[in-house]
Amino acid sequence: MLSRVANNLIWLDRYMERGNGILSLLKVNFLANQDSPELFSWTPIIKNFTTSENEFYTEDAIECIYFMVFNIENSNSILNIVTKARENARSVQEHISRELWLCINNYYLYLTDKDLPRRLREEDPVQFLEDLRKHHLIYYGTSDVTQERGPSYYFMSIGKFLERVIQISDFTEFKLMEIGNTSDSLEKSFYWKNLLLSIGGYQLYLKTHKSTFNEDHVIRLVFQEKLFPRSVYYCVNKLSWYITKLIDANELEKTNLEFLIGKLESTIKYTTIESIKEQGLHNYIESIKQDIRNISMNINSVYLSNIN
Amino acid sequence: MNNNHLFSSYDKLPSTWDEMYCDSQKFRAQYEGFIEYLENTSPEKLTKKEDLSKQLFMSQGVTFTVYNDNEGIEKIFPFDIVPRIITAPEWDKIETGIKQRLKALNLFIKDIYNEQFIIKDGLIPADLIYSCPNFLREMKGVKVPYDVYVHISGVDLIRNNDGEFYVLEDNLRTPSGVSYMLENREISKRLFPGILPKNHVRSVSNYPNMLYKKLKELSDLNNPNIVLLTPGIYNSAYYEHTTLARLMGIELVEGSDLVVKNHFVYMKTTNGLKQVDIIYRRVDDDYLDPLEFNAQSVLGVAGIMAAYRKGNVNIVNAPGTGIADDKAIYIYVPDMIKYYLNEEPILKNIETYQLGRPDELEYVTKNIKDMVIKKTDGSGGYGMLMGHEATDEEIKDYLDNVKKKPDNFIAQPILRLSTAPCYINGQLSPRCIDLRPFALAGKDGIDICPGGLTRVALKKGSLVVNSSQGGGSKDTWVLK
Repeated sequence: MLSRVANNLIWLDRYMERGNGILSLLKVNFLANQDSPELFSWTPIIKNFTTSENEFYTEDAIECIYFMVFNIENSNSILNIVTKARENARSVQEHISRELWLCINNYYLYLTDKDLPRRLREEDPVQFLEDLRKHHLIYYGTSDVTQERGPSYYFMSIGKFLERVIQISDFTEFKLMEIGNTSDSLEKSFYWKNLLLSIGGYQLYLKTHKSTFNEDHVIRLVFQEKLFPRSVYYCVNKLSWYITKLIDANELEKTNLEFLIGKLESTIKYTTIESIKEQGLHNYIESIKQDIRNISMNINSVYLSNIN
Repeated sequence: MNNNHLFSSYDKLPSTWDEMYCDSQKFRAQYEGFIEYLENTSPEKLTKKEDLSKQLFMSQGVTFTVYNDNEGIEKIFPFDIVPRIITAPEWDKIETGIKQRLKALNLFIKDIYNEQFIIKDGLIPADLIYSCPNFLREMKGVKVPYDVYVHISGVDLIRNNDGEFYVLEDNLRTPSGVSYMLENREISKRLFPGILPKNHVRSVSNYPNMLYKKLKELSDLNNPNIVLLTPGIYNSAYYEHTTLARLMGIELVEGSDLVVKNHFVYMKTTNGLKQVDIIYRRVDDDYLDPLEFNAQSVLGVAGIMAAYRKGNVNIVNAPGTGIADDKAIYIYVPDMIKYYLNEEPILKNIETYQLGRPDELEYVTKNIKDMVIKKTDGSGGYGMLMGHEATDEEIKDYLDNVKKKPDNFIAQPILRLSTAPCYINGQLSPRCIDLRPFALAGKDGIDICPGGLTRVALKKGSLVVNSSQGGGSKDTWVLK
């Protein structure tokens, strides 16, 4: 496969995954913000997804959602993300299924419809966000049932799970900071609940642990739950699987990558809750992020090193 | 008949061939089937179909992006829902005429880059060839596979008021528009269910397979690595490049994906370098190789021409074919047909005056109101003077410019492009059209896809069909 194509496929799924994560976060924060604006403000969300040059902040929910969805100055606005995803898809059309291209093209057209901003301002903002998110869910489903399992799919999946691990890590760090600022255990439980809602694991948590918030249980679900598709364990496991597939097909170089992904996998598998707490959750997340960065750079080097 | 007013304000242009009406009352036979459908369809329904066609172009991504203030705006190439219909005998003549012409043009290119008999025999002046910007010295003596230079062409035809098809322009470099031939048909299938088979319309959907076959034949390998080289996502024909690559199942590459090593061309893959055998390039000659042509080009591949001359890669169309579709050379095509093939031209040329000849310049100046003046190396409808609509001052300025380098200009009488019915504001109105059929040449001869791109000047009375100047397109039906 062309190196440029592999790169574009990875980023196609990274952007789509990022969009999905941001939309979930916006919806969860909107609902939480209506209950307790003092706990769930908008500023940290804007800060987290924009560059240091950004000067726009607001505590008005609709204005914030507008900024996060439509603003073209915001490089992580849904509009920018989907535009970039579409450009990536467009340049690799012969590698992705026709249905997948049509799906992302339709999402782009939906987003650029002149009437859409009005809907945000005049109608139910939750429905507005849900409708956008539906395009991501259709994207996942279309990819699953139309894309052949081969290098294209594997590169796309790597992009998806890389982005997902990064997001889970970022969301958790983000909540940890807030939790660190309070000594009120009820407030702390609100934050943990909010984290679970943002990554979509709340329902599973309730099923397993009922409605009692225990920090250890949350960490175990977010980082170690084997069966939850948005846990770090699950994502790293998938990453390892797709990377191995690509190494076997000679599409990726074995040398460093196999070692790096193996190391991360065992970190996730064999670190106990006790030792996580001993080193501090923040440090633990930082070491995962560092490993992910190394893996990502190693994959990048594959298409950069082939230039000559 | 319940939809008569659809036809009620069809104002035919004077002394112009109309594709639908033979006179003010009678329809031409080839349109009767479609007219019956129109008469039984309400204007509301037709307007809905028009909206549907726009939606379909957008949702299928048949668009080009216009960048403005960092914001990309998706545009569609305007489409008129009423098809243009060509009869089987008309098509036969077009087909044999184009084949004849391309055969001669290909022989001409081979001759010019090799022995140059046509110059030695005094048919074409040497300085005309050597002063032509599209003549590539780099191609002299280069042996090309099966002597095919022009693999893909899109000859522009117009129908004059005598009902005959004339050749307006031979596009022998990287003609575009074929994806619109394909998409327009896909849209027609959905707009008019059942109407295509009922009218016995010939299919165009085989074009990508035909093209792939022609490309593959150029190599002796069982499974040659064929790629399509695009200038990239910002090119207005990018949609076409992605479509053709997808429909042929070949890789779409950009210049930066390719590299030349030891006079072989490779693409950079995740699996290392992979040799490329055939390049269907949509990058112009000028940008193909920064080592030999435009040194600033980032769209091409350094060293690709050297690899080509060694026969290690095939470039389609061959570099240097522009010498044969130059507007100054156009005048000589009928002579070429006689010279190389000993045949009479089947398709006529439009009478053309060379402004480098003092008597012809004088004639054109006198009759300027009935003339179009064009630059010999221009394209896309730019840099033209339309005598009938220019002001005296514009004419004077233009002629002053011509006099500086008269060899670079030609003039033609203002043509009466034929008109075809278009669905505009709920009624049928005649608009000027041309026709670009797509021909493919390979080792076993020339094949022409039964259809083509009909371009329409959507502005009332306009003769300019170029998409860059407000033109649109129609589906083109060739009947069995």
